[in-house]
Amino acid sequence: MTSDAIAAKPARAWRRYLGWSTDHKVIGVQYMVTSFFFFLLGGAMAGMIRAQLLTPDSTLVSAEAYNRLTTNHGSVMLFLWILPVLAGLGNYLIPLQIGARDMAFPRLNALSFWLLVPGGLLMLASFFVGAAEAGWTAYVPLSVAGPDGQTLWAISVVLLGTSSMMGSINFVTTILTMRTAGMTFWRMPLFTWSILATSILVLTATPVLTAGLVLIAMDRLVGTLFFSVPAGGDPILWQNLFWFYSHPAVYIMVLPAMGAISEIFPVFSGKPVFGYKMIAISSLAISLLGLTVWAHHMFTSGMDPRLRVPYMISTMIIAVPTGVKIFSWLATIWGGKIRLDTPMLFALGFISMFLIGGITGVFLAAIPIDLHVHDTYFVVAHLHFVLFGGSVSGAYAALYYWYPKVTGRRLDERLGKIHFAANFIGTNLAYLPMFLAGLLGMPRRVVNYDPRFTQLNQLASLGAFLLAASVLPFLYNVIVSWVSGPKAGDNPWRAKALEWKTSSPPPAHNFDTPPVVTEGPYDYGEPVQVSLAATPAAAGD
Amino acid sequence: MTSHSRTHEDEFRAGRELSLDHRKLGMWLFLASEVMFFGGLIGTFLHYKATIPSPESAELDTILVGINTFVLITSSLMVVLGLDAIQRGNRRGLATFLGLTALLGAVFLGGQVYEFVSLYRHGITLTSSVFGSSFFTLTGFHGLHVLIGVVWAALTLGKVLRGAYSAQDHVGVEVFGLYWHFVDIVWIVLFTIIYLI
Amino acid sequence: MTSSSSPSTYGASRARQHLLVFAALAVITAIEIAMTQASIAASLANALFLAFSLAKATLVAAFFMHLRDDSRIYTAIFLLPVVLVLAFSTLMLMSAGGH
Repeated sequence: MTSDAIAAKPARAWRRYLGWSTDHKVIGVQYMVTSFFFFLLGGAMAGMIRAQLLTPDSTLVSAEAYNRLTTNHGSVMLFLWILPVLAGLGNYLIPLQIGARDMAFPRLNALSFWLLVPGGLLMLASFFVGAAEAGWTAYVPLSVAGPDGQTLWAISVVLLGTSSMMGSINFVTTILTMRTAGMTFWRMPLFTWSILATSILVLTATPVLTAGLVLIAMDRLVGTLFFSVPAGGDPILWQNLFWFYSHPAVYIMVLPAMGAISEIFPVFSGKPVFGYKMIAISSLAISLLGLTVWAHHMFTSGMDPRLRVPYMISTMIIAVPTGVKIFSWLATIWGGKIRLDTPMLFALGFISMFLIGGITGVFLAAIPIDLHVHDTYFVVAHLHFVLFGGSVSGAYAALYYWYPKVTGRRLDERLGKIHFAANFIGTNLAYLPMFLAGLLGMPRRVVNYDPRFTQLNQLASLGAFLLAASVLPFLYNVIVSWVSGPKAGDNPWRAKALEWKTSSPPPAHNFDTPPVVTEGPYDYGEPVQVSLAATPAAAGD
Repeated sequence: MTSHSRTHEDEFRAGRELSLDHRKLGMWLFLASEVMFFGGLIGTFLHYKATIPSPESAELDTILVGINTFVLITSSLMVVLGLDAIQRGNRRGLATFLGLTALLGAVFLGGQVYEFVSLYRHGITLTSSVFGSSFFTLTGFHGLHVLIGVVWAALTLGKVLRGAYSAQDHVGVEVFGLYWHFVDIVWIVLFTIIYLI
Repeated sequence: MTSSSSPSTYGASRARQHLLVFAALAVITAIEIAMTQASIAASLANALFLAFSLAKATLVAAFFMHLRDDSRIYTAIFLLPVVLVLAFSTLMLMSAGGH
């Protein structure tokens, strides 16, 4: 069956998503659906963690099992949900947004998706041979000892990192070489800019983690002595190798989400984006600065004390381009004709929750504060506000926004609003109490805790269960609308980026004739003509 | 409908305006990630070189490996002369130089194996000490990259012998060349930090 | 890229340039090997070795990999990770003091 014929079939032709395809739209959906499955798995693990923490001395889960849960909850959420779902979004959208037919290397693209399969299976398999239990951070020497599952974990992460890097080679090459006529860099949509900035980080940071994981794997499999303390091995070396990637990783996880909401705000405010160039440049700045801050995760490690203050300063500086973006988004909305559809609700939720996460990040950057709250629930709260309140909200916003384009159907708005409300309330209820618990001294990664933290933990668990429930209206909505939702048409949101100028879903070759671009993607309204006879009132504002 | 089809040329027009070939760009991006991968291993080697005394390094045979370095640099010359040849349409010249590249690459690998075996005879192994671990891992991964390059050179040679590449179309050779020269550059750095300083 | 010469002389001058670069690489390598046999103060020798290594790597990248003739975007893509590795390696050497 030709790809045109496949594309002409209704979006219900789900079988094409089960096999090898080099069509970036198919690959994008494969990424997104696969990663959502892992989101549910990671969420189930979180549910068990929060169930265990309902009471201070619960024996629901053993201590060893608890370590495995926290380790794999983190690893699955980061490596198998957030990173790939955003990569999948990028995969689907980039060629469409720049007016291209597909990515520069379609077969490499397919391969990068299919690497998720052995990567994911290995991480799942690790549970059956004694799971990884050294935290997602896998600090040595603990991660060099311990059950065999840790080795599978390490290999899994190497495969997933490789998938990520292949994807980024494709993204950068596609963006640089395949933009359609008239699509200058300053006419690219902000989501495209965010993928470009993200790809810089993926290509420079991931290989260093790969190197570190290779060293751990070799210590475990072959008996090398990289992290053998008696032989002179240095645990801090691992921390440097690990965090060199894992700090930029958090920007890899948030930049595309920020790109998505940069698309959403102008559309749902009916106004051009405020500070388009500044948002684009800030994305690149966050990317490059993000490579200089990693040791702020190591302030209590015994690292060279002379280096701590420079890392504190570089970390605080990143707040600047982030703030530029936030103010630009606010200025975009200000005075606009706001439509509170579900994508816009999630985008607004992103700002408020990411702000809390971001500001508490600046708290953590301050060494004197970090020395007290490192490895407490303060950090757990911070990271969940930026990752869940931030990245996941952004991912949801993107999924609601682009769902009509991918499937040709509209999602139900009422279910969307219910999902948003439960998600927003659940996130705040789950994580706000954790700030307090951390400040009061509750350490992270503990299976039992001092009874004085009980109420805070129960509130957090309640929020977590609400979050679990909140997924149900979303899943129902996505599945039922795909089958029988109202048809979306080419441009249900009245947006101006190129993906909305083709059908929903797009044909296999994306555009019937290659588009020629003559304006930016957010140029709403007529250009303002200023005449010399303007009245003082008109000139004033 | 055929009006929607773009020629291969049209698709990459934006790249040509920036003087970028998408295949070369892809390789440069891959090499950037390889720099970082070796960087992690190099950082590890240097960290331990500075913190743990390594009397084993007295056993390293700098002269032999220096000659081996010369061999690898010569192989890079062969690659670039081969590229010069195909740019003039000289497919036979390209074939000859590719063959020499593969040969010299194999000689380099032979030299490395000889060095590894003699170190093992002195009790310096992958697991004998932190030095052994970092030395063999770093040079081992480099050697693996050379091996992949030798195979790639041979495969490219095979294509040339079957009539591939011309003065107008030889990006594949350039892309191979970029990889090979990169592997040479990594060795230049490794030779210095392991054998010289 | 130079364009004024005819294809055959242009090709020949390219080959000449490559041979000259190779000669420089070979000479530098020979000097390095000779230096290991001589007794030179360690810090001076190390500084020279590092400078030579940088020079050789630059020659290969600029002339054999044609960075000098091609788009500057390729150079930027290669240079960023090189700078990062230099910084990372320096830090890994520094933390030797630490604790």
